[in-house]
Formats: sequence, structure tokens, C-alpha cells
Amino acid sequence: MYPVELTVNGQKYKVEVELKTNLLEVLRDKLGITSPKVGCNTGDCGACSVLLDGKLVKACLTNALSAQGKEVVTIEGIGRPGQLHPLQKAFHEHYAVQCGFCTPGMILAAKALLDRNPNPSCDEVKEALSGNLCRCTGYVKIIDAVMAAAKEMAGTETV
Amino acid sequence: MLDNAYFSPPNLNEVCELLAKHTGKAHIIAGGTDLMVKVNRRLMEPEVLININECGLSYIRKEEGNILIGAAVTMSEIIESELILEKLPMLAEAVKKIGSPAVRNVATLGGNLVNASPAADSATALLALGASFKLVSKNGERVVEGEQFFVGPGETVLKADEILKEISVPAQSEDEKWAYYKLGRRKADTLSVVSAAVKVKFDGEIVEDIRLAIGAVAPTPLLAKKTAELLLGKKLDDALIEEGARTAAEETKPQDDVRATAWYRRQACAALVKRLLGQVRG
Ligand code: FES
Ligand code: FES
Repeated sequence: MYPVELTVNGQKYKVEVELKTNLLEVLRDKLGITSPKVGCNTGDCGACSVLLDGKLVKACLTNALSAQGKEVVTIEGIGRPGQLHPLQKAFHEHYAVQCGFCTPGMILAAKALLDRNPNPSCDEVKEALSGNLCRCTGYVKIIDAVMAAAKEMAGTETV
Repeated sequence: MLDNAYFSPPNLNEVCELLAKHTGKAHIIAGGTDLMVKVNRRLMEPEVLININECGLSYIRKEEGNILIGAAVTMSEIIESELILEKLPMLAEAVKKIGSPAVRNVATLGGNLVNASPAADSATALLALGASFKLVSKNGERVVEGEQFFVGPGETVLKADEILKEISVPAQSEDEKWAYYKLGRRKADTLSVVSAAVKVKFDGEIVEDIRLAIGAVAPTPLLAKKTAELLLGKKLDDALIEEGARTAAEETKPQDDVRATAWYRRQACAALVKRLLGQVRG
């Protein structure tokens, strides 16, 4: 076992891992943070998406040891009940959530986009979410929600 | 059990030392997007891991007429590099179609090549661009041409104590035409059914120089030499394009797999080559 230190949603943790452990196992099994989901465990679905040092990654494909010293943000890190992130609010208002399994990953993928590009086109939103599968919504509402959140966030910044 | 089997060396010399010391046991990890799929599926369990993200292989620079890319450069870094967009637009185009943003953020060019999937999209573009690869070990370095690097599915000429250090690609020039296309089952996070890349220099309407590469249609990414020979020195008219597409399909040795049948791959290859040749002719 090897020690790994990492920050998750602003809090520091130290865990013991094996060479084969991935970041998703660390988050879910060792830290009890279960918002990143195990969809495929092979990089195909995006349900495990998190931000690593601000960049979107698939936690299932991230070796835990290579996350040493890095900063992880999960959906818990961007909003909470009563203080939802504009993306969370927009997903709620636009019915972009059905079963919810893909939602944490979708919102983090959308956040990674808006952090770099606050005013994306519809095609840019599709491209940004292209690694995230949703079995329920048919995507249209998700794209609507991201576009609406972008507008909302641009508005709050100028006010 | 080794007391330490995870390393993140600060320079390439140490990487080479470790590879020599743990020959056959060590796995190099950069983005991990291929390696961790195998680990998660319990297809392999690493005995020794050498992380190469900190060892200075993250550079992109121009040297004479070549663009030099360190093996640990990520796909996102390639797409965002002004130098690549300007001097290697075909590579940028191919890399944009690899994986999805989350994968491209960590997956590296070196990893895509060393993993040696016949469907490695960067390889298709690099073969057409005439890239060469620099391999290093404790005992020195050697350079191999792109088309000599791949041996079979998952197999390259890399020895157990060697690492791919750098990819050198002749800068594209204004007077060369190029085209690239990836055919997959979905747009993102998918392995190619077929991919094809072509770079041509015309003398008027005559093909003066051409490199055509096709992915996912043979045990290794394929440089279509017979097709290039056929087209060389001739006027690229409709009849020649048809013949080129047929020849290219004949050069392939495709396989049935979960993504497509060999029959389909041959048809798709001919169609793609026809389309790309039409595009470069303009
Ligand atoms: S669980 Fe990681 S991409 Fe599906
Ligand atoms: S809401 Fe069910 S998978 Fe997206």
C-alpha cells in the first residue's frame, strides 16, 4: 500500500492505495463520496467525471497515485441544497434530470466548459458533453439547461 | 513484494534507470486512459509503475523544419498549441476526434502510439505526415520511422527497457494538400471503424508526392504504399481516384470485431479514400 494525499472539495485527505487503485474507488470506497458513479469503469460513459486541478477527467481512468497532491472537485464541491450552482438550478428548471445517474458528471463536464468558455455555442456544449452518456433525457434538455446556465451566469457577473 | 513499486522520476535518465532495473515488470503510466481500462477489467495488474508526467516530456517545439513533440504531451495540449494548429493542422484534426474532452485532457500522444492499437487515430495522421519516433534507453537512443514502429496489435519495436521519448514531424507546408477523416460508431469516446489520412503535393494536376495512411484496417496502422505508387506521377482524375480507392481497399487486412466486420471495413476504406482524394484535388 502507498500513501496518497489529495484535496477533495477543499478538504485534505490521506489514503492508502494499491498500484491498481483508481480515483473513483478512492472517492467512493475510501472517502464515501458517492456522487461520481460507476457506470462502465472503462472510460465510456462519463458518469464518474470529476475535476482534477480544474480539468475534467474520468475518475475511473485516473490512477490514484497519479492524483498525489492534486485537487479534486465533485458535485458536492460546487453547490449544496439552498445554495445551488446555476448549472444545478438550470438542470432542475429545465427537467434535465430524470434518473440522475449521469447528472453529476454532466454538470461537471458543463462546468469545465463554462470555466473556459462562458459563452458557448450549442455545438460547443455538445462537444463538451460528448464523453457523457445519458440513458434517460435524450440530451435536448441537458443542452438547454447548460445554455440557460451560461446566460444566467453571464448575467450575474455583469450585474 | 517490492517495498517501492511506484515512481514519478523528475528526469528521463531516472526513467531509463528504472526501466533497466525492472525490465519486463515496469509499466509506464502517463494519462493512464488505456492502462487503467486493462487494470479495471482485471486484464493486468501492474507490478511496477513509472509515472512520466514529471520527467520533462511535455514540450512542443520547432527545430528546423520539424515539430518535436514530447511523448507526454496530452491530446488537449496538442489541440490548443498554436504551433501545431499552424504547422501540423492534420495532426490537430485527428487528435480532436480522439476520445472526449475528459480523455484528451490526460491521454498523451506517446501513450496512443505505444499502446499500438491498429485504430490509434494519431498514428494514422502521423504516418501520413511522415513522422519518426525517438526511442531511448539507458544504452542510448535510436530513431525509427513511423511505419517501422508498429509490429502488430499492441506490439511495437520498443524493447522492454526502452521508452518513446519524442515524436518528430515534418511541418506541413502551404503547397501540400491534406485531408483526414474518422469513421466511428459514435462521435466521441469511440475507436475508429476506419480512419484515413492523406497528404499530397501536386505539380499542377499531377501527383508529385503522396502519403496515404489508413487506420483500423490491418494489424497495425497502415501506410498504403501500393496506392501511393499507383497515384504517383499521374493526373488525379475521377478514374484514377476510383482505382486508388480500390487499390487501398486491397492493401488492407481488416478483421471482424465488435465495431465492424472486415467486409464493411474494406467497403468503408474504399469510400473514405475516394472521398479524401476528391477533397485534396479540390
Ligand atoms: S465509470 Fe468512468 S467513464 Fe464510465
Ligand atoms: S438522467 Fe438518467 S442517465 Fe441521465
